[in-house]
Amino acid sequence: MIELKNITKKYEINKNNVVIALQDINLNIKEGELVVLKGASGSGKSSVLSLIAALSKPTSGEVIVDAKHISKLPDNFASEYRRDNIGFVFQKYNLIPSLSVRENILLPLVPLNPDADEVHEKLQRVMEMFKISHKADAIIKNLSGGEQQRVAIARANVNNPKIIIADEPTANLDEKLSLHFIEMLRELKALNKTIVVATHDPLFFGLDFVDREIEMHNGKLV
Amino acid sequence: MILTPEVLAIFILNALFAFFGIIAFVLSVKIYLKWNLNSVSKSQYKLEKQSYLAATIIKYIFIIKVPLFLFFVFTLDKISNVLTGAMCGAGVVDATEYGIPLFILKIINLYIFAYWIVLHNEDMKHENQPFTKQKFGFFILAFFLFMAELILEGIMFGSIEIDKMVSCCGSLYSSSSTSAISSIFALDTTLLISIFYGVFLLMIFFYFIKNRYLFAISNAFFVIISLVTLIVFFGTYIYKLPSHHCPFCFLQSDYYFVGYIIYALLFIGTFYGLVVGFIESAKEDRDQNYKISLIFNTLYVILLSSFVTIYFIENGVFL
Repeated sequence: MIELKNITKKYEINKNNVVIALQDINLNIKEGELVVLKGASGSGKSSVLSLIAALSKPTSGEVIVDAKHISKLPDNFASEYRRDNIGFVFQKYNLIPSLSVRENILLPLVPLNPDADEVHEKLQRVMEMFKISHKADAIIKNLSGGEQQRVAIARANVNNPKIIIADEPTANLDEKLSLHFIEMLRELKALNKTIVVATHDPLFFGLDFVDREIEMHNGKLV
Repeated sequence: MILTPEVLAIFILNALFAFFGIIAFVLSVKIYLKWNLNSVSKSQYKLEKQSYLAATIIKYIFIIKVPLFLFFVFTLDKISNVLTGAMCGAGVVDATEYGIPLFILKIINLYIFAYWIVLHNEDMKHENQPFTKQKFGFFILAFFLFMAELILEGIMFGSIEIDKMVSCCGSLYSSSSTSAISSIFALDTTLLISIFYGVFLLMIFFYFIKNRYLFAISNAFFVIISLVTLIVFFGTYIYKLPSHHCPFCFLQSDYYFVGYIIYALLFIGTFYGLVVGFIESAKEDRDQNYKISLIFNTLYVILLSSFVTIYFIENGVFL
């Protein structure tokens, strides 16, 4: 499903300051697998996620998703790949505060221009799944952190993507809300989604439905 | 040297084009020599990034350069007011020995630049960018013509002497002229008109049998025969004067700037006709290019024929 081959990622701040984020990484993630990438800040977790999502390109090596060489895609095709295959959940939710819950969830559908029935069906499905239907018309800035995270995960799933990527998804949540989020992940796992979570939250460690925990340190898999 | 605001604007733009064009050229050479899409090496990823930069630079230079041709023609027309003897852009073109070569080069480059844009757009439609090497290789060759145009333009405007008498279009485009263009007036007009409509009919035939190569060749012929018949025959009906053959005067307000429409129709029609033959695109895109070409060429023929028809209806005779 997801294959990272001999990946190296360097960020060149200037000629004398090159940060090596990933060093010769090899990783295989099967379809329907839930993988937790753990490690300290700066260990390279987010870089792995951005490569899988085709948000950035490796310095060398190859990223293959469903037999497609996504690290070689031109930008316009990388956008299409993200739109059709990836659902993102971010640490800071990245919602548009002035829009309603419904409008935020619908955003990934806008470029697809679906008909009204399809929009309604998709919207209802994810709002019920993530228990946010009662707040459909509420403005984002008036919601709690937990509710915003539910909206974020509903938005990530509205296109029914095969892959869910979550970058420190519980960093802004208290323990109770984090456990709710973990339950949502369990439900997504049951739907055979491939999920990659980057986190250093200990609540994710040792969970029965997590297939693998991969430790990262200084840009390498430990 | 002549330095009107229009000429100054062209000089400033040319300096910017040259600066960015040289950057794009250096990158294009690197890309052309080292491009290997199958490689996952550091240098290939770097080249892929650079290819976006180079392609963006070239695309915007050419996108500006194509309509800038009209501005160049407008500038020629405008500065004809300050040259003694010049009545339109023709006098300015003839004012120095560089005018005609520059004008011919600009017309060739117009097709080359537009072709690169279409090639680039075609390349960007595919995940594996099948035309990348071809488009940068093509730019390497085009760059020399592009730079030649910029230099020649600078030299031409730089060598115009405003106190020197120049010829007017009436003497330049006449059978008694000693200029190279005068030789076309020796050709039989009936024969030229027959060739003009004949090539157009052939083009329609090639459209229906969908032979892309013959369609492109007929378009190439159509550019030449159109320009010749415009000067020899159709122009006289636009001016309603049997002795006036200038291909510049109808760009002026006296003729409602109809020249811009005439040249735009001819360029768009024949350009897309040539694209059909030169670019191996998807059937849908090719069909669209066929249609654009035929529609614009047909409008060109209708527009020019209408001048003759209207004149005949009004006067009961041909010129």
